[in-house]
Amino acid sequence: MIDAMVAGLAALLTPQALLFMFIGVVYGLVIGILPGLGGVVAMALLLPFTYGFETAATLALLLGAHIATIWGDSVTSILFSVPGSAKGLALCFDGYPMTKQGQAKRALAASATGALLGGIIGAIFLALCIPLIRPVILALGPSEYLMMALWGLTVIATFSEGSLMKGLTASVLGVLVAFIGMDVVTATPRFTFGSDFLMEGISFPVAMIGLFAVSEMMKLAIKGTPIVDRSLVKEESTVWQGVCDAFRHWWLVVRSSLLGLWIGVLPGVGASVAGLAAYAQAAQTSKTPERFGKGAVEGVIAPDATMGANEGGGLMPTLAFGIPGGESMAILLVAFIGLGVVPGPDMLTKNLDLVFSMVWIIVIGNILVTLIGLGITPWLARLPSLQANLMVPIVLSVCFVGAYATRGHIEDVLVAAVFGVVGYLMDKYRYSRANFVIGMVLAVMIERNLHISLTLYGRDFLLERPIALAMLAFVVITAALPFIRNWRRRKLAQAAGAQS
Amino acid sequence: MQTTRRKLVLAGAMAPVVLGMPGRVFAQAGSYYKDKVIIINVAGGAAGGHTRYARMLQPYLQKHTGAREVRVVNMPGGGGLKAANHIWRVKPGSPEIFFGNVSTLILAPLAGSAGAQSFDPVKFNYLGRVTSEPRVLSVGGKSAIKTIQDVQKLKRPFVFPSQGTDEDFYTMAVLGDALGFKVKAVTGYEGNADTSLAVIKGDGDGHITGWSESLGPIRSGDKNPILMVTSQPSPDYPQIPIALNIAPASKRATVQAMATILETHRSYIGPPNMDPQAIAAFRAAVTAALNDPDLIAESKKGERPVAPMEGAIQQKRVAELAKSSASLEPILKAAVKEIQ
Repeated sequence: MIDAMVAGLAALLTPQALLFMFIGVVYGLVIGILPGLGGVVAMALLLPFTYGFETAATLALLLGAHIATIWGDSVTSILFSVPGSAKGLALCFDGYPMTKQGQAKRALAASATGALLGGIIGAIFLALCIPLIRPVILALGPSEYLMMALWGLTVIATFSEGSLMKGLTASVLGVLVAFIGMDVVTATPRFTFGSDFLMEGISFPVAMIGLFAVSEMMKLAIKGTPIVDRSLVKEESTVWQGVCDAFRHWWLVVRSSLLGLWIGVLPGVGASVAGLAAYAQAAQTSKTPERFGKGAVEGVIAPDATMGANEGGGLMPTLAFGIPGGESMAILLVAFIGLGVVPGPDMLTKNLDLVFSMVWIIVIGNILVTLIGLGITPWLARLPSLQANLMVPIVLSVCFVGAYATRGHIEDVLVAAVFGVVGYLMDKYRYSRANFVIGMVLAVMIERNLHISLTLYGRDFLLERPIALAMLAFVVITAALPFIRNWRRRKLAQAAGAQS
Repeated sequence: MQTTRRKLVLAGAMAPVVLGMPGRVFAQAGSYYKDKVIIINVAGGAAGGHTRYARMLQPYLQKHTGAREVRVVNMPGGGGLKAANHIWRVKPGSPEIFFGNVSTLILAPLAGSAGAQSFDPVKFNYLGRVTSEPRVLSVGGKSAIKTIQDVQKLKRPFVFPSQGTDEDFYTMAVLGDALGFKVKAVTGYEGNADTSLAVIKGDGDGHITGWSESLGPIRSGDKNPILMVTSQPSPDYPQIPIALNIAPASKRATVQAMATILETHRSYIGPPNMDPQAIAAFRAAVTAALNDPDLIAESKKGERPVAPMEGAIQQKRVAELAKSSASLEPILKAAVKEIQ
C-alpha cells in the first residue's frame, strides 16, 4: 500500500501533471465563481482536450478543475448570496451575513481553509478505508439515503426562529415547487399545466439564484446602498482570522469531513444535501445554535469541509464498481475509457497507484486552491462595498446569464426573476428562504427513497434495514439535542434563580 | 481471365461513383448548411450516453456540413420527451435537430404517456442512426438467478429496478409477457448507475441497459448477462441467448417488434416541417461523418461503436414499426397502469 502511495505521488510530480493541475485549478475557480456553472460543466468542457496526455496529468486537469469549483461556488455565496451551484447554498446562510457585518475576508478565508482541511482529512480517511469501500457501498441503500434526507430536514428548526409555523410554511412551499414536473415514481406530470417547460421541473440552481441573489439585489436597489456600506461597517476582519477559525473549530472540521466522505460514498445523494447536512450537524451540535443564520463562522466552515471531503467519497462508487455516482463522475468515467483504464474491483487492487494518484490530486489540488484563494481574498472582499447602482446591474446580469446557462432555457431567466420577487416578499414578511430551498432539495429525495424502500421491503422496512434504523435514532437524537440543551439551560437558570 | 477483366472494368466504372461520393456528399451538404449554425438538442444530461455520442460527432458534422458551428445543447427531461416535444414545435427553417432515442418516440405514444400526446413519430424527419447497441438483461453476479430459464421458473415476481417509463421499462414489460414471468417494477431510481448498484447489491433481480453501459460490471463479474433483446445474436457473445429465440411462437411477433424498435436507437431527428434540401444535406452529412476514417478510429478508441443507418431507410422503418407494433400497446399500457 505504501508503495502504491509513493508511486501515485511520483506519477503526479512530472512537469506535465503539475502544469495541468495548475491550469485545472485556475480554470475551475473561474467556472465555480460563475453562477449556474459548476464542476460538471467544468469537466465536460475539458474532456475533449484530455486525449493523448499522461494518465496522471489528465486526471490532475479534470479533478483539479472539479475541486476548484467548490471554493469558487462559495465565493459568490459568501459575498453576494449568489450560490454558484446547488452545493454553494449552505454558504449563503452564514457567509453572506458575515459579509454584511464587515467580515468578508474572515468568511472567505475560513471557507477556503475549511475546504482544504476537509479535502485532506477526506483523502486520508479515503486512503485508509479503501479495503472497506465496496462492503460499505453494498451495505447502504434507499432506506439509508432516506434517513440522510430526513437528517437534512431537521435543519428547518434552525431557521424557524420566531415562528415555527412560518418556517414550516416556507418548507412546504419548497416541497410543492420541487414536485413540479414529471413525478419520479410514476412519470405522471404534476403541476405542469400542459407546459413542456414545466415537465422538466423547476431547476434548483435557478430557483436559488432568484430566491437569494435576485431578491438581495432588489433590496439593494430599493435601499440604494451597497451590500456593505464602508461608512457604517468597516472591514475589520483579516484572512488570518479565518484561517485560525478553521483550525480552532478542528473537531467540527473532522466531523464535517467524515460526513462529507460518507455522503460522497452514497451514490445519488449529492453535494447540495451534503452542504445542508453539514450545516444541520454544525447548528445542532453547537452550544450556541441561536447564532446560526446570523453570521456564525462555523456555518461557513462546516459545509466547506464537508464538500471538500465529499470529492474523495464521490470517487469511490466510480472506482470500485465502474458505476458513476453522479454526472461529474460519469465524465471521469469517460476519461478513464479514453485512457484505457477500466474501473471496477481490480482498480482497488491492481491499479492502486492510480487510485492514490487521485487521492494525491485531491490533496495537492486543495492546497493550490487554498493558496490562490487566500491570496486573492483581500481583493475579493472589496467587491461587496461597490455602490448599488454599479453592483445591482452587474450581479443581476451575471445571475440571469447564470440562470440561462444552467439548462440553456430562456424560460429559466423568467423563473429566476419570479423567484426573485418571491424571495423578496418572503424576506420582507420573515418567511425563511433557507427553509424553502431545504424543502425543495429534499422533497424529491425523500419521495424517491421512501417509495423504493416501501416497494422493496414493505411497510416495516426499518426493521429489515438495521443501519437505517440506527441512522433514524441518530437523526432523532441530533434533532432533539438543541431542545434538550435549552431545557437543561432553563432548568439551571431556574435552579440558580431559586438559590439566589 | 475474362471474368477478372470484366471485374476490373466494372470496378473502374464504379470507382468515380464510389470515390466521388464523399465529395458529392460534402458539396451537397455544404451548399445548404455552409456558414450556418446547427443546434443539436441532445435528449439527456451533460454526462449521458447521448451527449458522449453527440460530442464525438460534432466536429465531423461541422466538417461535412460546412456549418460555421455545430452547437450541442443538452435538453434533459421526461426520458427524451421534453426534447421531442420541443423539436416537434420548432418553426420552419429552424436550425435545430434532435439527437436521441427513436424508440422513445415510438413507445411513449403507444403506452399512452402523458408527455407524448402532441406528436406523431411518423411525421418527424429521420436523418440517420449513429449507433444501435444491443440491450442486455443482466442479473447480479452473486444472484441465484443464472439464466433466463431461472427467471421463468421463479415462484415470485422478478424485481426490476427502473428509472421510470423509459424504453428499458417497456422492454421488461414485453419480456415478462412474452416469456411468461411476472415483473415487479420498482420505479424511482435516478439513473442506470442507481439501478446497476441495486442489482449488484441484490436489492433488485436484474435490469436492462445498453451493452456498453454494463460492460465494466460484466467484465468484473459484478453482473451476469442472461438475455439480449436484438433481432440477431451477437457474434461477439454467442453464448447469451436472444429473446426472440426463446419466446413461444405466439409471442415472437411482439418480441420482434420490440427488438426492431430498440434497434432504431441513437439518431438525428429533424422537425416535421423541415426543408427537403436541409433533410438531404443533413442525411448526407451524417452518412459522410459516420464513414470518416478519423471518426471510426476515435469511436474504436473511446469504445463508442457506431452502427450507421441512413435516414431515408430509417424513415421507412419507423413508418413500418408504427403500423406493426400495435400488439405492444396493451402490454405497455398495462405496465404503466401497474406503477400508477
